[in-house]
Amino acid sequence: MNGPVLRVVVGVACAGVPTLLASSWVGGASTRLSKIEAGEAVDEGPGEEKAAIASAADEGYCNGDLRKILRRVLQSCGLLGSGEVRGCQPVQAKNVATMTGADFNALFLPLNQRAGIIQFEKDSADLDPGDTALLDKVFADQRGASYFFVVARSSPEGSTDHNRELSQKRADAVMGHLRGTFNDPDLDREVGLLWLGEEYAQLDEDFCGWKRSGAADKCKPKDINRSAFVAWIDCRL
Amino acid sequence: MPGRVHLAIVVIACLLGLMFAGVSTFDFAQHLDREVHDLHCSFIPGAKTDLAQGASSGCQVTMMSPYSSVLRTSFWGGIPISLPAMATFAFLAYRALDVLGRHGVGRRRSAGVLFAFSAVPVIASLVMGVIALVELEAACRLCLGIYGASLVTLLAAGLAYASIRRAPLDTDDAHAPSAGMMTVAAFAQLGAFVGIAVVGYVAKMPDYSRFVGTCGKLDDTSDPGKIMVDLDKNAASHQAIEVFDPLCPACRAFDRRLVGSGLDREVHRRAVLFPLDNSCNWMVDQALHPGACTISEAILCADEGKGPPATAVVEWAFEAQEKVREASKNDPDAARRMVVDRFPDLGGCVGSDAVRQRLNKSLRWAVAHAIPVLTPQLFVNGTKLCPEDTDLGLEYSLTGLLRRGGGR
Repeated sequence: MNGPVLRVVVGVACAGVPTLLASSWVGGASTRLSKIEAGEAVDEGPGEEKAAIASAADEGYCNGDLRKILRRVLQSCGLLGSGEVRGCQPVQAKNVATMTGADFNALFLPLNQRAGIIQFEKDSADLDPGDTALLDKVFADQRGASYFFVVARSSPEGSTDHNRELSQKRADAVMGHLRGTFNDPDLDREVGLLWLGEEYAQLDEDFCGWKRSGAADKCKPKDINRSAFVAWIDCRL
Repeated sequence: MPGRVHLAIVVIACLLGLMFAGVSTFDFAQHLDREVHDLHCSFIPGAKTDLAQGASSGCQVTMMSPYSSVLRTSFWGGIPISLPAMATFAFLAYRALDVLGRHGVGRRRSAGVLFAFSAVPVIASLVMGVIALVELEAACRLCLGIYGASLVTLLAAGLAYASIRRAPLDTDDAHAPSAGMMTVAAFAQLGAFVGIAVVGYVAKMPDYSRFVGTCGKLDDTSDPGKIMVDLDKNAASHQAIEVFDPLCPACRAFDRRLVGSGLDREVHRRAVLFPLDNSCNWMVDQALHPGACTISEAILCADEGKGPPATAVVEWAFEAQEKVREASKNDPDAARRMVVDRFPDLGGCVGSDAVRQRLNKSLRWAVAHAIPVLTPQLFVNGTKLCPEDTDLGLEYSLTGLLRRGGGR
């Protein structure tokens, strides 16, 4: 290398190598970033799948018919819209569901692993320790479900009016226990009450195999209908 | 000419060092598009590393560490230290050519300057090597290549200087600058090599400030369901909500980057547990991190004062991530046993209805805020830190969010 000029030329060339390489790489990244912003495809990199958005569970049994019925029942019985729990009386439930009692019960058949049947004593709305244990267990297992149904019934003994009132008391007892046990601010938006008295959708002995709080031999139709059917519903509405 | 072979070795070693540092800078610069990229982590410069392998490789660890670049709060990702390394190797190659182009006493002095300055990358290599081994516990092949090239450069420059010094002066270069002048000039040249490269790099960087605070906001940062867990006792005015899975490697790496950056002290961090494990989380089809539900329950139990502080359980979970995940793959009860072994006081709480319900509420918090099913996520004063900014761009973007007190 002769002379200062040549020395400068070589120096500039040597200094230019890292500068040009680095600035071209950054420029390339900048171009790709602009393309990404513009929504153009960039074929470098492994790419990433777009993450799903967190949402409530929506199980396979939530078909169109079930969703429609649930929405009607929930709206008419006070869960959707106002956000207050009012509860739904037998005639109302029958009207909004527009289906036979057997069809209404069939809606809940897919929930056999999620539901519990809280059995009460005759003419009573009091929860015993077995009842509360089953209720707590079912309620604590919310997973991704959005709504908790409490469908209270009574056996046909006694007057229709009395049984309607009794089933309402049973639904209220369940709600009262949940309110007292689980300090859950979402309770009023999640729990739906229906009291059916003796008039509509009585349970048959097919439900004896479900999780119940009553004794194993206490599963005659009159026993299983002195009850509150409780279940989380894994459907989005 | 004495020392010619050694100078040729210096030039070759510098070119190799330039290549290793260049590939490292290239990998770093690739990420400036805020996307995920493969790394070229090999002793053969340019050879690719599979991403799955690279995720845990030394190259990935070192590149994502706070030591891979400087000025991170001023520039997105900062200035990679491999860039000054490139410039230094180019400078040393230039100085070797300078020695070849000089005669007499000028050559002798120039060789001395080359030898002295060739210690610069060796010293830098020593510092970075110690950091890699002690702090990061990771070795990256590209870095080892740079260390090796640095050492060969120093040895060859030393041998060249010794040869030239021993040989009789061929001519008397009366115009040769003094050793002091030459040293000052070399300092200026090194500064210019590094400075020009850095200026060229920065000049081509996009404006990242436009992305800060543009990735969404939470409607509400309150915690009526008491599902959040305090991750520190900072009295900072900035509130951070961290959505994380205690068994997620990305969450652990994010936590360490955040702590390493020192920015964790400027916020009060609260965690929303979001285990990516289908034994409690219905939003994932499979257990991406088996055992994460149980570990999350343990953290919530600790938060309720049932034993150790929640942060101790989080730290243990981060340390034991691999073991817990592996053990829980075929044994659903393994995570619980490991928790109870380590924190016996939590045994009565983990798996209880109450804690399961609290964890469920934590998952439902994610539903209520319609956030993506991924971890980690950080919200500062309710504004989300963009997922693309959780690694190299963390310091820049988080500083930006803090300066504006949240989002736009």
